[in-house]
Amino acid sequence: MNANREIVSLKNIIKNYGNDKVITKALQGIDLKIYQGDFSVMMGPSGCGKSTLLNIIGGLDRATSGNVMFDGKDFNSLTNKELSIIRRNQIGFVFQNYNLLPVLTAYENAEYVLMLQDMSFSQRKEKVMELFKEMGLEGLENRLPRELSGGQQQRVAIARAVVSDPLLVLADEITANVDSKTAQSLLLLMEKLNKTNNTTFLFSTHDPAVKKIARKVILLKDGKIHKEKPSLENI
Amino acid sequence: MRSNLLLISKIGWRSIWRNKRRTLISLFSIIIGTGIPIFFVCIAWGFYAGLIDDVARLMSGHITYEHVEYRNSPSNDLWVEDIQKIDQTLNNNSEILTTKQIVNLQGVAHTAKGSVGISLMGVEPEKEIAISFLPENIIKGKYLSKGDERWVVVGQKLAKNLNIDIGKKFVFTTNNVDGELTEELFRVKGVFKTGSKEIDGHFVQSDIEIARKVAGLSNDDVSQLGIIVKNPDNHENFIKDLQKSVTKNNGVFLSWQKIMPDVATTIRMDRTAISSFMIMLVVIVLFTMFSTILMSTLERRREFASLLAIGTQQIELKIQILLETIFFGLIACPLGVLLGISLAKWVEGYDMMDMFGGKAEDMTVGGFGMDTIITPLFSAPLILQISIFFFFAVQLLSILPIYLISRISITDELRSI
Repeated sequence: MNANREIVSLKNIIKNYGNDKVITKALQGIDLKIYQGDFSVMMGPSGCGKSTLLNIIGGLDRATSGNVMFDGKDFNSLTNKELSIIRRNQIGFVFQNYNLLPVLTAYENAEYVLMLQDMSFSQRKEKVMELFKEMGLEGLENRLPRELSGGQQQRVAIARAVVSDPLLVLADEITANVDSKTAQSLLLLMEKLNKTNNTTFLFSTHDPAVKKIARKVILLKDGKIHKEKPSLENI
Repeated sequence: MRSNLLLISKIGWRSIWRNKRRTLISLFSIIIGTGIPIFFVCIAWGFYAGLIDDVARLMSGHITYEHVEYRNSPSNDLWVEDIQKIDQTLNNNSEILTTKQIVNLQGVAHTAKGSVGISLMGVEPEKEIAISFLPENIIKGKYLSKGDERWVVVGQKLAKNLNIDIGKKFVFTTNNVDGELTEELFRVKGVFKTGSKEIDGHFVQSDIEIARKVAGLSNDDVSQLGIIVKNPDNHENFIKDLQKSVTKNNGVFLSWQKIMPDVATTIRMDRTAISSFMIMLVVIVLFTMFSTILMSTLERRREFASLLAIGTQQIELKIQILLETIFFGLIACPLGVLLGISLAKWVEGYDMMDMFGGKAEDMTVGGFGMDTIITPLFSAPLILQISIFFFFAVQLLSILPIYLISRISITDELRSI
């Protein structure tokens, strides 16, 4: 475990949308570093650029200018295919709407990334079953997403995101579609994964409950980092 | 890579069953689209094959050996010689079922009632019984046998026009190979009915020996040597080989298409019409299917975007969409083949006239009557060709969805990650 290993380094990230006539400045010079084991949350009002920043960190979108370094690799120099391979092997995503594949069972959804990584059947089974046990998903393996509650679906989505032991898990508004009790249990689960597996988490949320549990809070305003500070609740 | 393909196949397979009703409608379209052309082709090609074979066996074979100028002017003084040796050589060839020696004489038949222009065909009766359908179509009297001398079989209409019947006689006037006018008396041994106005009204068969005698030909000469082959569809190269190795003097080997151009043209036109119909059907089916495949892809844009986000490659999604149409084709095309064959099998043996009405006499191609009994031709290569054509046509449907997926923007589809 390398506590100071720099996973993400953003330098002067600018992201503009639109065309020559109308330009929307989504991000205006973001500098940010994320280290292994971080459990950080990005907060800010709607339209402040949280999701855009998360997209750029996750290699889903490209910055208009500035440098994105991910585990020593410069995203600007990578092709879309190379970015896709990094997402497959090193980044986990948890979406607000879960985005599980409806035709695959809970087990198969979690197994998906491992199959993309060409892991053997026995290894996949061992990893997924162990994780399901850890996450309280035992007995739900053969259920399709539509047969699961919102909270259960989000657990499966988290399992899918962490099963391949990624360097970084990006989670966007993951508590938005579940009740507060479920949200709390999901957050505790991720905190546990962070502590036991040293998985790095970066949340984007409006939910104060996430802020409470995070160890670092990044406040965004008008496309800029307004404040970056340790979470008071966790000091 | 193998587990990726397995995964993609699994997702593709399950995805097509996500909307069962839509999938079943699509499958039904392809089944109908494949089955109907196969049905029509089996029936039509069966008719053609039957017609070609019947005409070839009745007239001068699938391949004919004759004088090089005989096609332009089939006169009595154009014959081929050395025929016994050629006949023996041909009968030793494994591609050839049998041969028939023919002496054709054009002339006029007279009775007290009047005169009719006829074509007298001198044949080997024992071979004709084995080859041609004419002996089975005798409706009165008997068919010829070897050494029948002046006995002939005539068409029903000719018998009526000349007012002759079994045992009655008529005079046949023609010219021999030297151009001399010659007359011969013939007696009617049998009357046949084929359904063709031309054949029933102007065609007479006699033993080849008497025809040779009338024409002034030797035993080694014939007007034509008909060749019945095992595979009538594919004999172009065979003809070239025969032309090189067997031909003597002024003889030439010709295919049935050249001997009976009217029949060949009609069949070609009919086949073109059926092929056009097939293409139209393909277009209609593809049009129906296209919206289904496109819709099922577009409504999954968000799903595809999330798969791309978690590391699925574009190519893997494209393969998934292609696999979905492949699954459609793999399920529906064999079922379509089964449907087409079953339908054709079901109508086998029915008389077309009973099913659709009309007169059998009207069913003529190039002057030859068609057998109106449905006898489908189940040609494996042809059926395979149609089903493969449909299979690949269905695959074309995945082109636009694949293109659209390649342009998908993950962030636009997911709005946020």
